[in-house]
Amino acid sequence: MKVRRSFRIVPAALAIAAAVGLFSGCGDLSREELSTGVESLSALAAQGALVADGVRRDATKSTYARVMAKTLGGEAEHEAEKLADATPAPEVRRERDAAVRAASGLAVLYLELQTFPGDEQRGARVQQRMHEAKEGIDRIVIRLTGEAP
Amino acid sequence: VKSLLQIALGIIAAIGGFLDIGDLVFNTQAGALYRYDLLWAVVLGTVGIAIYSEMSGRVAGITGRPVFDVIRTRMGFGTGLVVLLASTFVNVLTVAAELGGLAIVLELLFDAPFSLFVVVAAIGLVIIVALLPFSGVERVFGYGGLLLLVFIAVAVHQGPEWGDVAKGFVPSFASSTLYFYFVVGVFAAALMPYEVYFYSSGAIEEGWTEEDLRENRLNAVVGYALGGVLASALVVVSGYLLHPLGVEPNDLGTVALPAQDAFAETGLLMALGGMLFCVGGAAIDSSFSAAYNLAQFLGWEWGRERGPRRAPRFTASWLLFVLLAMMIVESGVNPVEITEYSVVFSVVALPLTYLPILLIAGDRSLMGEHVNGRISSTLGWIYFVVICVLALAAVPLLVATNGGGG
Repeated sequence: MKVRRSFRIVPAALAIAAAVGLFSGCGDLSREELSTGVESLSALAAQGALVADGVRRDATKSTYARVMAKTLGGEAEHEAEKLADATPAPEVRRERDAAVRAASGLAVLYLELQTFPGDEQRGARVQQRMHEAKEGIDRIVIRLTGEAP
Repeated sequence: VKSLLQIALGIIAAIGGFLDIGDLVFNTQAGALYRYDLLWAVVLGTVGIAIYSEMSGRVAGITGRPVFDVIRTRMGFGTGLVVLLASTFVNVLTVAAELGGLAIVLELLFDAPFSLFVVVAAIGLVIIVALLPFSGVERVFGYGGLLLLVFIAVAVHQGPEWGDVAKGFVPSFASSTLYFYFVVGVFAAALMPYEVYFYSSGAIEEGWTEEDLRENRLNAVVGYALGGVLASALVVVSGYLLHPLGVEPNDLGTVALPAQDAFAETGLLMALGGMLFCVGGAAIDSSFSAAYNLAQFLGWEWGRERGPRRAPRFTASWLLFVLLAMMIVESGVNPVEITEYSVVFSVVALPLTYLPILLIAGDRSLMGEHVNGRISSTLGWIYFVVICVLALAAVPLLVATNGGGG
């Protein structure tokens, strides 16, 4: 589960570590933490493609597609903000920037799905772009970890 | 014939009422992360809840005493108080999780603000409980929960490699703490303490006697076994569809995606409808459990069948627990997170819940000829050891895995 956590011990510890890192001039976002975040984006893109597939096939209920798009889009946006706010280690700065762009892109796609949950053509287009986004995100994961998610 | 029909209806309700939000969340996540590898944990949990429910129903039928009464008598006031506090904490978290889940499903169906649906769900549950008799509440939600059978149809429709599915029923141990976290979660989701509190108190509400022990056994064995098939289907459909795509089901809505994928809107509506009934039924069961425990511990008049006039403090405490749960959900905490915490914390309370049942069901002076047989006793103790091990591991695993975040 990689969504927002309201009462967590580990995130609190990470936040303290982040603050210490920040004041000592080091990046607070390690390669491992970044790859975990990027992998969750890959999962979000995959799920978005499934939701969009339901819209494309006219196989869903528009309220369901809309609420799912709103929820998942919120998660993508949150991830984008989280990554953008973090100070990356110098060697992963490029990947961090790419991940922020990918997360923002996902949020936009979800917004389109949320706005037009009954439009099959848009559903097909969003599904296609979700697939492409996932491929792009997976390439970032490979750059970070050396292996596909 | 009427008796057989009665039993059959009870079993059907037991199947439909088997799942709750904990099963929906943990089983779907388990499938998405580990494909079919955790099916054995579903079986382990299902057998456990069947054993202990049967025992608690038998104790209620023979002695006329529900589980919490037994706990207080057997373990004394001090320990009883600790169990009361622990179980109430877990029960309130569970009611909040179920209420939040109910609001999420309503939001998915009708797309209005979540916080509005939390209030609607709470008021709706109170009205249903006020209007229907005890058995009516149980049956309505149990039968409605049968819509979840769509997941068995989805599993068949997907046509997975059944050999791979079968391998999942053989225990395997991956070398990751996250895997063990999900073992605990899937197991504990099936064995939530509120289930036996409610089961035994419900038996007393329905006036079970020695004559009802056959129904008790069939409910627990057949009803729960079939409920276990349903729980396994959740793992299978998620493992088939979500695992290869790398989807992480962080939201309750994702549980319904495989049904939509297989049977379009009809499948989606059946899945959401089934979730609505099973989560709604569990919200009532868990809130009643909290009120039952408190009333039984303090020696108040209790029971839905007695009504607010004859059991005013019981009724007031039930309403208070629903209100408290509503406030927790309205505070903005994600219901899926509450679910995870309620399931994991419940593991810690499990030994204190199940030990007294095991002791009294094995006490010939109280149970007479209905005392635990060799098989029940052996299985009961084996499960008790398993429960104790998991209780020790639960919180460290929760911390080590960042609450399942890896």
